[in-house]
Amino acid sequence: MNDTWTPRIVVFQCQYSLYCEADQKWMDTQLPPHIKLIKVPCTGRISPLFVLNAIQGGADGILVSGCQPEKCHFKEGNLGARRQLDEFRRFLTYLGMEEERIRFAWIDLSERGRIQQELADLEETIRTIGPIRRLVTRAIPVGEKL
Amino acid sequence: MSHESSETFADQVRAIPGGEHLEMCYSCGTCVSKCMIQHKFEPEYNPRRLIRKAMMGMKQEAFGDKTTWLCSACDLCYSACPQEIHISGVLLAIRELAIQAGYTTFLKTAVVDELTCVACGLCVEVCPYEAITLVEKPVMFRGKAVTVAHVDPNRCMACGLCAASCRSASIGLPDEFSNEAVIENLWEWMRSPVVEVTE
Amino acid sequence: MVDAARHPKVDVRTYTEVERVEGFVGNFKVQLREKSRYVIADRCNGCGECAKVCPIEVPNYFDMNLAPRKAIDVPMSQSVPLVYSIDMDACIHCYKCVDACGKLEAIDFSMEDKLVWEDVGSIVVATGYSHFDPSVMPEYGYGRYPNVVTAIEMERLNNSAGPTAGNLIRPSDGANPKRLAIINCVGSRDKRFNPWCSNFCCMYAIKNAILLKQAYPDMDITVYYIDIRTPSKGYEEFYDRARKMDIHFTQGRPSLITEDPETRNLFVHSEDVALGRVTEREYDMVMLNQAAIPQPDADEMSSVLNISQSPGGWFMEYHPKLRPIDTPTDGIFLAGACQGIKDIPASVAQGSAAAARAGRVLHAKEWEIEPVVAVVWEDRCISAKGKKCGLCAKACPYGAIEYEVGKAAHVVTAKCHGCGGCVAECPHNAITQLHFTDAQILAQIHALLAEKPEEKILAFRCNWCSYPGADLAGTSHFEYSANERGLRVMCAARMDADFIYEAFRLGAGAVLYSGCHPQDCHYITGQRVGARRAERLLKAFEKMGMTPGRFRVEWISAAEGDKYARVINEMQATLDSIPKEKLLEEIERLRPQMEKRARRMRETPQVEKALEYSRELETAMTGKEV
Repeated sequence: MNDTWTPRIVVFQCQYSLYCEADQKWMDTQLPPHIKLIKVPCTGRISPLFVLNAIQGGADGILVSGCQPEKCHFKEGNLGARRQLDEFRRFLTYLGMEEERIRFAWIDLSERGRIQQELADLEETIRTIGPIRRLVTRAIPVGEKL
Repeated sequence: MSHESSETFADQVRAIPGGEHLEMCYSCGTCVSKCMIQHKFEPEYNPRRLIRKAMMGMKQEAFGDKTTWLCSACDLCYSACPQEIHISGVLLAIRELAIQAGYTTFLKTAVVDELTCVACGLCVEVCPYEAITLVEKPVMFRGKAVTVAHVDPNRCMACGLCAASCRSASIGLPDEFSNEAVIENLWEWMRSPVVEVTE
Repeated sequence: MVDAARHPKVDVRTYTEVERVEGFVGNFKVQLREKSRYVIADRCNGCGECAKVCPIEVPNYFDMNLAPRKAIDVPMSQSVPLVYSIDMDACIHCYKCVDACGKLEAIDFSMEDKLVWEDVGSIVVATGYSHFDPSVMPEYGYGRYPNVVTAIEMERLNNSAGPTAGNLIRPSDGANPKRLAIINCVGSRDKRFNPWCSNFCCMYAIKNAILLKQAYPDMDITVYYIDIRTPSKGYEEFYDRARKMDIHFTQGRPSLITEDPETRNLFVHSEDVALGRVTEREYDMVMLNQAAIPQPDADEMSSVLNISQSPGGWFMEYHPKLRPIDTPTDGIFLAGACQGIKDIPASVAQGSAAAARAGRVLHAKEWEIEPVVAVVWEDRCISAKGKKCGLCAKACPYGAIEYEVGKAAHVVTAKCHGCGGCVAECPHNAITQLHFTDAQILAQIHALLAEKPEEKILAFRCNWCSYPGADLAGTSHFEYSANERGLRVMCAARMDADFIYEAFRLGAGAVLYSGCHPQDCHYITGQRVGARRAERLLKAFEKMGMTPGRFRVEWISAAEGDKYARVINEMQATLDSIPKEKLLEEIERLRPQMEKRARRMRETPQVEKALEYSRELETAMTGKEV
């Protein structure tokens, strides 16, 4: 593995999940360019379609950051996300990819600094397992209905 | 010599299940700092002040307050409240009164594409707020009585759970959280060259 | 303390627990357990040689376990008497201390706890209070975050005789904190833990803030509070002084403390109520001003002393305003925070007052009590005839009745407070209460129900709560039905079932059975005795087929005049809703059963005479023969 390769990582963040100001500020302003932050109202909003699109587009790793169970801002949104995305994650093996590429971080209110740790861990994992096998991508023209 | 006083706004709130114990609030502010909404979404959001408005009978101010419409009943504050007030219950009671008075939410709530909705009912199942129902109504180009999903805008909190579960992308959030916007945002970044990180 | 120990007439017993208390005012017998120190107090001169050689270190609870002490040590350096003791749970029996003690031969490993009886005239309870453990509140992270400390830990850390010799350091890295947050109302004013206000914490926070600001002028100190309460003389001025010293006061109860895992700095999340904004501020150290709670063994103490407890577990005073130092048991007095949370000036004042009250007992040759005590008619008591009963002893909240099969029950007059529970409970009417005899009360019932009884509401009121409650209704001009007829007894416990039967036999329209709220009872558990009886009565009347609402049980405090008026008006409404013929028919129908049940009461001595007197009165009042 050459050292110059940098994994591309997409972070889906529930917009309510980071309680500490410093963490949110870090996410908003200090993310390195190879990490893309996408904020959603709730992890429950993350359609498997989004994750699939990220993989099709060539993301090497995906981090889903949400709230602890029972502490979801939308009562049970993160439980729905768990069911749906966990299912999707198992589907990765079927495609011949490693499940570790999708990582979930259910962060409690008081867990200051955990998101940085999770991102670093994910990047570490991705570096050991290497770049993702590119799927045949389908170009989606802007504005077309999916 | 008990006077039959006329019903105050606070009495109206108390009369709705969940709205009791309103007067126990001593304005410590625990709920406000526990809540995510002021942090993340709306700096005007303040359940403590809304409860105060209800106690003081400031009806119009309460109905016009953004707090009335934003509480998503996650109940993080309920377990933290030293006076054990079910704050979301009080807020929802105020919202109920506001809806009765003709106010409506300002949230960008979920919208149904009635042309493609097949009324599978998946969104009805997943909605945490029971805001979605299946209704029979005339839909242009499809017929006079087509069963489609219908969103009650006053109940919908715009979490997007329905959008994530819909198999035909027929229900979704508008603007920045629509499927198209999120995927376009993703692809825009994908198309850009990766900046090499020197180690 | 040293002065007290040296005083020839003061006998200080430390490391000693009260096991049992018997007797009554002026004549208590107290059993004490003198715990074994394993050091003979008379021989130990407090030189401390033993502690120097002791190899075992245990946490020092006086320093809030922030520092070690030896297995043989004094609890604190100012201990009185200055006698060492061995912590046997930690001792490894190396006997180095015995060698170090040398010729004094003060150490005795064979020592055992000693039980002794002492005669005392009066007792002052000054057992103090304990602290709420904030580790049960996960949001503040006490126990998880090393730099979150309690007020008492801060007290030791900032004490020149403390484990750090007064150098305030934070536990995680030993650095001097530059930013300190003080959080008030931790566990107090919190319905989930302790609903009460802990009284002194506001002043305590201000005191600590000022002390620290004086010692470290560049320290940034913020006090988070819900309300600052500075009610006593000079307190508000003290608060002003703190504000002038640039100590920040932020209104807002923090909802969460988070910790930076690397620096171990703490972030306090709170709303600044004045700004209406959520703030997250960084601090080096956080002090939690935790709630004051009753001593963990307050329940045991209250049963040993036979004194009652207020809600929450504090010892209850005889009267909250007029006799705040006395307990319901004569000769036992309260001082300090065990009676209710109070600060030092108030505790000192109460302590002095308790000493004076206790002295009154010691100097008196005779002791005056309320004259309403219970008296046994020995010839009527079935226990004297060798039958098992003992209901009176069971009902007595003071343990004033000595009961033994074969002997008539005996009331210890000095212990009796005159609730009348035994009188009402006795199935054979073998006990009477002076000034509230069955005959007197029956005569009152007869007089009150002399005319048109079916329209009357007969209200039994207890002397301490519902009677003043009715009074308050009157002085507040709350109107209630004029058909109400009040009858005062000392306690709900005195409201004999026979009185109720008799009232209904005479054709009363409705009867109210009212007393104190359970926690406010003037006679410890008198209300409970009455409440149990009222339950039985309710069931009995339901079985008889009485219209619900004609017999009503309500607990009304002295401050609830509005409630008293409301209850009476509701009862009047119930009566109005029953057609008159139907009511009269019901009264007639139930009369034989009532007659049967009330019969025994009418056989009580003096009843006939009293009734005759009441008939005479009625005739005089109404001008016609009854």
